[in-house]
Amino acid sequence: MNRAEESLQAALARPAPAGEPGFLAALRRAGADDFGRLLLPTTRHEEWRYTSLAGLADLALAPAEPGAAALPAGFALPPAPRLVLVNGRIDPSRTDLAGLPPGARVGSLAAAIRERPGAVEPLLGRGPFGDHAFAALSDALFADGLHLELPAGVAVEAPIHVVHLTLAGAGQAVGAFPRSLLLLGEAARAVVVEHWTGSGSYLAAGLTQASLGERSALELVRVQDEAPGAFHVGLVGVSQLGGSRFTSRSVALGARLARVETRAVLAGEETENHVDGLYVASGSQVHDHFIHVDHARPHGLSREWVKGILDGSARGVFTGRVLVRAGAQKTDASQVSSNLLLSEEATVDTRPQLEILADDVKCSHGGTVGQLDEDALFYLRSRGLDRATARALLTWAFAAEMVERLPAPVREGVRRLVTARLPDGARLQEAA
Amino acid sequence: MLRIQNLKARIGEKEILHGLDLTVNAGEVHAIMGPNGSGKSTLASVLAGRENVEVTAGSVTYLGQDLLALAPEKRAAAGLFLGFQYPVEIPGVANLYFLRTALNAMRRARGEEEVDAMDFLAIAKEKLKLVKWDQSFVQRGVNEGFSGGEKKKNEILQMAVLEPKLSILDEIDSGLDIDALRVVADGVNALRAPDRAFLLVTHYQRLLDYVKPDRVHVMAAGKIVKSGGPELALELEKTGYAGWVPERHGAGARP
Repeated sequence: MNRAEESLQAALARPAPAGEPGFLAALRRAGADDFGRLLLPTTRHEEWRYTSLAGLADLALAPAEPGAAALPAGFALPPAPRLVLVNGRIDPSRTDLAGLPPGARVGSLAAAIRERPGAVEPLLGRGPFGDHAFAALSDALFADGLHLELPAGVAVEAPIHVVHLTLAGAGQAVGAFPRSLLLLGEAARAVVVEHWTGSGSYLAAGLTQASLGERSALELVRVQDEAPGAFHVGLVGVSQLGGSRFTSRSVALGARLARVETRAVLAGEETENHVDGLYVASGSQVHDHFIHVDHARPHGLSREWVKGILDGSARGVFTGRVLVRAGAQKTDASQVSSNLLLSEEATVDTRPQLEILADDVKCSHGGTVGQLDEDALFYLRSRGLDRATARALLTWAFAAEMVERLPAPVREGVRRLVTARLPDGARLQEAA
Repeated sequence: MLRIQNLKARIGEKEILHGLDLTVNAGEVHAIMGPNGSGKSTLASVLAGRENVEVTAGSVTYLGQDLLALAPEKRAAAGLFLGFQYPVEIPGVANLYFLRTALNAMRRARGEEEVDAMDFLAIAKEKLKLVKWDQSFVQRGVNEGFSGGEKKKNEILQMAVLEPKLSILDEIDSGLDIDALRVVADGVNALRAPDRAFLLVTHYQRLLDYVKPDRVHVMAAGKIVKSGGPELALELEKTGYAGWVPERHGAGARP
């Protein structure tokens, strides 16, 4: 076992918090047992072949303590309704859930488990992450997260912000395992925005599970701006009933190593599943997007599109897996990975994987890896922009297509975060 | 304003300009005509500073400076403008933002004060009239989804905003219907001034019905082979280029 595994095992060996219902205790035990068997994935695992957790393995992770420490520099809390978690636990002083419509339950998962264990229990499984080490850790170690439950027909217009702050003290790495559960009844609608940031050296491993009722619509935005010393693993599990629409928009900017795994099961007819991703990686950052869409029923539509901008010796990984089960006729699935390499040393591995067991489907995949277009650079320079500004503008243009797709209330903030990450992005403060 | 002497240039191993001489004075409109493959577009590229063209001999003096020593953006700041034959699409960058960035880059390079967003909007509104556009065109991405004619009008709009001293328009008339051609020509005519010059690179005489040139040059096989007044363009329209093009270059590929 490596240092991280040893420290996690030590955390798993502690007694569970008192007063938890019996089903949760069983869930935690099974999680601890599974992690003890699985341990952290290595590059020998096919699904982690291009993403090495060797850096994480060297960290001794202390359980994250609750805290109301200072916000990271430059980070401003989003408007209400917002739930703020510090080290995986809700910080009531910064949480403000004003502005929700009647009938919407939005709040603490831990509180929901306490108050309505019977309602939460059936939904708290690992879903599509059955044999996943980080899902096992989540079961065993999660403290809290967002619990959202919308009865049939309830629509929340304002984005619901969930801020995940992980604040590690000097010299001590921590692990945080926030868990969120989103349940949308028939024709319910919501936009949930997860902000991930922090300070110091840490592991932030979140598991968000969404269950979409018939004709419901959920847009899940993830803005990952973790500290440079962070390891980020985001698991998103989705199950969709007929006519529902799930949209995930991920913007990944921070962390030493970040992996976002989205696994969706389209269990009803005429479901729509959109997964957009934008990542900006520089230095020696590793950004990994893993998307698995399971078309189980006919007339489903899925669109995956991940764009990466890589500089320095950064690495990008894209795995897009589409499974079309027998009987899922008229499935329309596409996946695209587009990558812009700004340096000689940056690399990207893209793996499209289609498994099609039905015969009347439309499935496509495409991938591009390229540099900035010389003709476009010359065009901009001929209009007076120096080379650095021209490069910055074209790089921004590549990213902008994804930023434009974000819900209006978060677009401007993300635009600022993205331009700040781009080489010479300071030249673009007024762009778009 | 512009003096080109014995200019030789190549792309890769292929020499395209074989010793070209041309002088353009302030206030003049010159047309360079010639068949495909004669080197017209290469000349425009050399003047604007495209890096895939290598100058092997000769000199280009622009407003007393060695033009070839300047980076493309410095040439732009010095008032040289190239209207592209194939303007590039840049989705994700709004046309208006692009225009203001370009204008301010040049103003900065010249030590002038930058124009803020509000003032620029007023400038843009005025210039949009020249190309008979409403504001929706400048809200869109640069040339994004524009037709061929719209792209050329956008070049004229950029020229109008940047107010260059020397405008080199590379086949600005190709692919235009008559209405678009008139808009483009009106744009050029509106900018004509005693301290400005134009170099129109064109295959056809049609544009010259609307923009009266002071001098017309025939280019063939990388050289100017004949120069004259506006009547030369009419003559070419009748006789074609056949007589001007040496046999072995007659079927030459486009650079």
